Amino acid sequence: MAIITKVCDEAAGIKTFTLEFKEPEIQKSFDYRPGQFVELTVFGVGEAPISITSSPVNKGYLELTVAAVGKVTRALHLRKEKDVAGLRGPYGNGFPFDEVKGKNILFVGGGIGAAPLRSLINQMFAYRDNFAKISILYGAREPGLLCFIDDLEGWGKTENSEVLLTVDAPDAKWRGNVGVVGSLLPKIDIDIKNTVAFICGPPIMIHFVLLDLLKMGFEEEQIITTMERRMECGVGKCGHCNIGKSYVCLDGPVFSYHQLRELGEDI
Amino acid sequence: MKILSKSNLVPFLEGLGLEFKVNAPLYEGQDVLFGDLDSSKLATDFIGKPRLSPKEYSFPQRERLFTFKNNGGVEIEAHLNETKRVIWGIRPCDLYGLKFLDMVYLSDYVDPYYQARRSNTILLGLNCNKAEESCFCSSIGTGPFAREAFDLLFTDLGDVFLVEIGSKAGKKLIEKQANLFTNATSKDEKQAGILEEKSKKTFKTYIDLGKVEAKIAGASSSPVWAEEAAKCILCGGCNWVCPTCYCFNIEDVTSGDKTQRVRYWDSCQLGGFTQMAAMNSRATQAERLRQRIYHKFSYNPDKYGGEIGCTGCGRCIDVCPAGINIAYILRRVAN
Amino acid sequence: MKRVLTTCEFCGCGCNFYLGVEDGKVVAIYPSVSHPISQGRLCIKGWQGHEYIHSPERLTTPLIKKGNRFREASWDEAYELIVDKFNQIRTRYGNDSIAVFSSAKCTNEENYLMQKFARACLGTNNVDHCARLCHASTVVGLATTFGSGAMTNSINEIAGAEVIFIIGSNTTEQHPLIGDRVLRAIEKGAKVIVADPRETQLAKLCSLYLMHKPGSDVALLNGMMNAIIAEGLEDKEFIAERTEGFESLKETVADYTPEKSSAITSVPEEKIVEAARIYSRSKKSIIIYSMGITQHTTGVDNVMTTANLAMLTGNVGKEFTGVDPLRGQNNVQGACDVGALPNVFSGYQAVTDEKLRNKFEKAWKVTLPPQPGLTLVEMLNSALEGSLRAMYIMGENPMVSDPDINHVEKSLKALDFLVVQDIFLTETATLADVVLPGVSFAEKDGTFTSTERRIQRVRKAIEPLGDSKPDWKIITELSSRLGYRMDYSSPAEIMDEIAKLTPIYGGVSYSRLESFGLQWPCPSPDHPGTPYLHKGSFTRGLGKFSPADYKTPAELPSHDYPFVLTTGRVGFHYHTGTMTRKDWALEREYPTGYVEVNSQDAKQLGIKNGQTAKVISRRGEISLSLKSVDTIAKGVVFIPFHFAEAAANKLTAANLDPVAKIPEYKVCAVRLEKG
Ligand SMILES: Cc1cc2nc3c(=O)[nH]c(=O)nc-3n(C[C@H](O)[C@H](O)[C@H](O)COP(=O)(O)OP(=O)(O)OC[C@H]3O[C@@H](n4cnc5c(N)ncnc54)[C@H](O)[C@@H]3O)c2cc1C
Ligand code: SF4
Ligand code: SF4
Ligand code: SF4
Ligand code: FES
Repeated sequence: MAIITKVCDEAAGIKTFTLEFKEPEIQKSFDYRPGQFVELTVFGVGEAPISITSSPVNKGYLELTVAAVGKVTRALHLRKEKDVAGLRGPYGNGFPFDEVKGKNILFVGGGIGAAPLRSLINQMFAYRDNFAKISILYGAREPGLLCFIDDLEGWGKTENSEVLLTVDAPDAKWRGNVGVVGSLLPKIDIDIKNTVAFICGPPIMIHFVLLDLLKMGFEEEQIITTMERRMECGVGKCGHCNIGKSYVCLDGPVFSYHQLRELGEDI
Repeated sequence: MKILSKSNLVPFLEGLGLEFKVNAPLYEGQDVLFGDLDSSKLATDFIGKPRLSPKEYSFPQRERLFTFKNNGGVEIEAHLNETKRVIWGIRPCDLYGLKFLDMVYLSDYVDPYYQARRSNTILLGLNCNKAEESCFCSSIGTGPFAREAFDLLFTDLGDVFLVEIGSKAGKKLIEKQANLFTNATSKDEKQAGILEEKSKKTFKTYIDLGKVEAKIAGASSSPVWAEEAAKCILCGGCNWVCPTCYCFNIEDVTSGDKTQRVRYWDSCQLGGFTQMAAMNSRATQAERLRQRIYHKFSYNPDKYGGEIGCTGCGRCIDVCPAGINIAYILRRVAN
Repeated sequence: MKRVLTTCEFCGCGCNFYLGVEDGKVVAIYPSVSHPISQGRLCIKGWQGHEYIHSPERLTTPLIKKGNRFREASWDEAYELIVDKFNQIRTRYGNDSIAVFSSAKCTNEENYLMQKFARACLGTNNVDHCARLCHASTVVGLATTFGSGAMTNSINEIAGAEVIFIIGSNTTEQHPLIGDRVLRAIEKGAKVIVADPRETQLAKLCSLYLMHKPGSDVALLNGMMNAIIAEGLEDKEFIAERTEGFESLKETVADYTPEKSSAITSVPEEKIVEAARIYSRSKKSIIIYSMGITQHTTGVDNVMTTANLAMLTGNVGKEFTGVDPLRGQNNVQGACDVGALPNVFSGYQAVTDEKLRNKFEKAWKVTLPPQPGLTLVEMLNSALEGSLRAMYIMGENPMVSDPDINHVEKSLKALDFLVVQDIFLTETATLADVVLPGVSFAEKDGTFTSTERRIQRVRKAIEPLGDSKPDWKIITELSSRLGYRMDYSSPAEIMDEIAKLTPIYGGVSYSRLESFGLQWPCPSPDHPGTPYLHKGSFTRGLGKFSPADYKTPAELPSHDYPFVLTTGRVGFHYHTGTMTRKDWALEREYPTGYVEVNSQDAKQLGIKNGQTAKVISRRGEISLSLKSVDTIAKGVVFIPFHFAEAAANKLTAANLDPVAKIPEYKVCAVRLEKG
């Protein structure tokens, strides 16, 4: 059980909710890794799996960024501060963190799909010295759909870090890059051998960025992505989320490209 | 091993009824269905299997998980069903089906709703002296006579049942009504052996499991998936009747300030099963059909120590309005 | 758990299953293995479509409208208001100023009472139901040619046919368990010919597929008959012994050479000839048709033409041969059988026939009106024009299901008084002055008659929800209060009355229906029922060839409206979706409407798959997402009509067949724009 303590508009049709567990003990003991998700209940409506966008370093609250696409998510958008919501989790495996220390990090995100990346990026920036260069490429369909603008600005100002933005369909005010997020890849200059790439976003974006990265010389193990599947239970029982022999809710949602290819089902 | 005369079956089951809810196969008109014991309808001589397996006593078609009241605060009340239950007349294939579900629901994260039902249920099996057209448990190795997963196991020897004890709980049931049972002789056991051999000869549907296991991983692009899937009318029947299908959907049903969280049997043959906001991860029926077969013969064994996710009961063959036949598909895969 | 065997409430296949009841709720489904049609199988609606029964949105008390809002009312209040209003209106405007809509979803007993209520209590023949919208042309067309307007075969015969010619029926989606029989026939080597403007699932699995233009059915069938006669493949013996009027048929079809037929239908000539050969060379050929044939201004012509084809080749009146109109609703066959039609009493006994009328007058102890009443669309027209002042609608939702909804809405709003009896507050019910809560099939006893004329039991499994009452009970109570007493202790008693007055149901009684029902005609208590019709001789004696010429649909595509819109159902939903859209599994498959467009047309329009399209006809416009497919003919678009928010029937026209008065749902002209 959690209380919504803050709601802010992130982008068109996307809001970020700050939640605190009603019971302080649970809040204290609630630990998670970036990339994990929770099952969020809007009482009387239903449940939906949502990635945690805050970072474990932000103690005392959780942030969830949600796009209104259906029954539960639309109902959530109507909720206000002080309303209650149900939370269970955290579920899933989460991103590798200690394992990638010392490396260059490349983030490629699209639209709301970048929600789990934000969690990881903030965690890394909290331990910034442990990582070499961090490049963040982020795109959305149109400028109004770019999320986490304040964060992006902050990250971009940090030393040895870069943030590049793009949109598919610019409006009159847009001055930045136009095109799919893959079109930003040639603009970065990093030592690929010592880099790990994290990709999150809509399936089509992931598909094309994967191909681009492989072409650039990334090894399958150097590419880490998250998979979205329809989910009901979050605990490996309901059978909705499998890709081949893996359950995305247990063995994912974070997979290396190498793992994905071993699962035995086309992705 | 014990002997129970056929005329003592009803007294035995009714005796159990004093302590347990007793379920058994019943004749409803000419249909055989598991139901609450009614000795006037008790089916002991039916061939094959009831259309639905007894899995619904542990994992019902529609199950209320909990109710919450949303009146400012939120009160939650869980509905754990701890009815003490004995099920008689479970076929060997269905015994394996329950063993398989136990593996899924009682491992890793234990499902409390399943556990509440299952841990209070005692399983009394009934061996098959004859196979139905669609049965192929003999190819999977789960039947026609059971080897495991029962508390008691009954074999029809004509006038009497041979009763094998499979667990302490089963033994206790006999001890409580010991006067109904006599000791079996080696002759009885031998007769059961002969019946098993005879029964094995009545099978009409076969697959070569070894070949299937060896070849299935490489069969993902076989034309059989699209060919067979083209006929599917999306009824979900093959999933609803399957004793090992465990996938479910969760819905919140709200009326006034009360919301029930309900889980329902779900079907991987339906497109909505994998529909997400932006895309469907299994967009074609061929992929969905392949998922059903792969889940049982490839993914499940991978995850659960080699245990096949199919009992060979053949129900999905009988239930399919499109004539899609898992044994045929597996034979194609094997070749 | 209690188990109650009953008959499916969705389609005309008539599957049987057990409802599993726990704590007064339906929680499980078990298909009947021994049932002749189900054989342990069901479609998704049968397995999974019953969640609506316990929907929190069910009506549980009568409602009376005050101003713009409904308030809950007692039955007494509701009845009193209806009695007052009906009496006032009748006194002022005469008996025929009131009309009733009966329901193909309700039981035979309820439909029988509803027509009795109209005729005996209100004194009007203004009673009709949605059969008008689906198979009115079948009733007329097959009655003219064969003498009986029903499916001639039993469903199980289909699996034994050698040739199955399916025209205008998406069988696997709309009649799934009949689709099952077609698939089994294919497995046994039967040849299946499919003619449909949309490439249906069976079209992909059949031996010969003809993609004909919507509304060109007569031309196609006449073309086939032309080829059959040209090649001497007709059954001369059958024609001579069993039929009349062959010469006039020959004359008519002589015009429809394969060239001409091809030009009209856009089916290649050789395919027309091949279809003719396949169909006529087998002595076990069955024709299956459905709304693709009936829902046209030429619906009756279409039906008679299929009958002509069957008679021409002797493929009717024997096992594994026949003409099979597939009736949509679970009880649309029954609702017609028991007289919920403006021109006939139960058993198709004409109200204009004095002898028959006298029989009913004697039994019902009243004088009955001799002229046929208004048909459904005519009722709505009369309402708008002012001669009809009040309506009583039971279990139908014309605000989604009827053509040209804007017109329907105007008509219903023009009434002085509207009573709607339903289980949900449907789009139609919201327009009512009084709403009466009926019950679902799980809460009452009765019978449904399936498309194969099988009269089967519906059994009560749970108590009515809240204050709701079985529909038959409501009708009897209302009738009694209006001064015409109806006393029945149970639906069984109503069936006994039906049997007494209705020759085709003459031998039917509840005790005889226990083991999966009886197929009519069943004239006497010792008659076993009739698996297939017209054995030895046709119901009307000789089969009558009734040739028809091709006529263009009432509304043709034009410069401004270049596309032909055809409407229909999807397998996951039922009609106006009031029931099926409350189920998670069905709703998940098809959450809302869409318009199916040929991919080349879509490209030309510049609208991509998944984008919103505006579809505009002369009567209205709707916006919905576009589905680009290769399985529909160019120039044709398809919209399912289940979805009130994207109601296809805002676009359709109420152009009627001149005889059957069925509207042309299958053809109207539209334009598409980017939405
Ligand atoms: C691991 C994971 C993390 C996610 N993280 C986020 C996030 O951070 N922010 C965010 O906005 N969304 C996220 N999603 C997607 C989100 O779960 C779905 O959009 C949401 O469940 C839709 O629920 P609904 O009731 O609003 O929609 P519905 O009314 O149920 O349906 C709307 C659409 O969403 C699809 N959908 C329904 N249920 C699910 C489901 N359980 N999983 C996926 N798609 C579904 C439906 O097929 C339909 O197309 C995540 C999904 C997964 C699996
Ligand atoms: S897959 Fe078919 S044969 Fe195997 S257990 Fe399930 S229903 Fe039985
Ligand atoms: S039973 Fe047959 S038709 Fe039904 S979903 Fe399964 S494969 Fe498809
Ligand atoms: S085929 Fe028709 S009658 Fe049978 S279950 Fe489906 S909807 Fe019901
Ligand atoms: S969400 Fe239920 S198994 Fe993964």
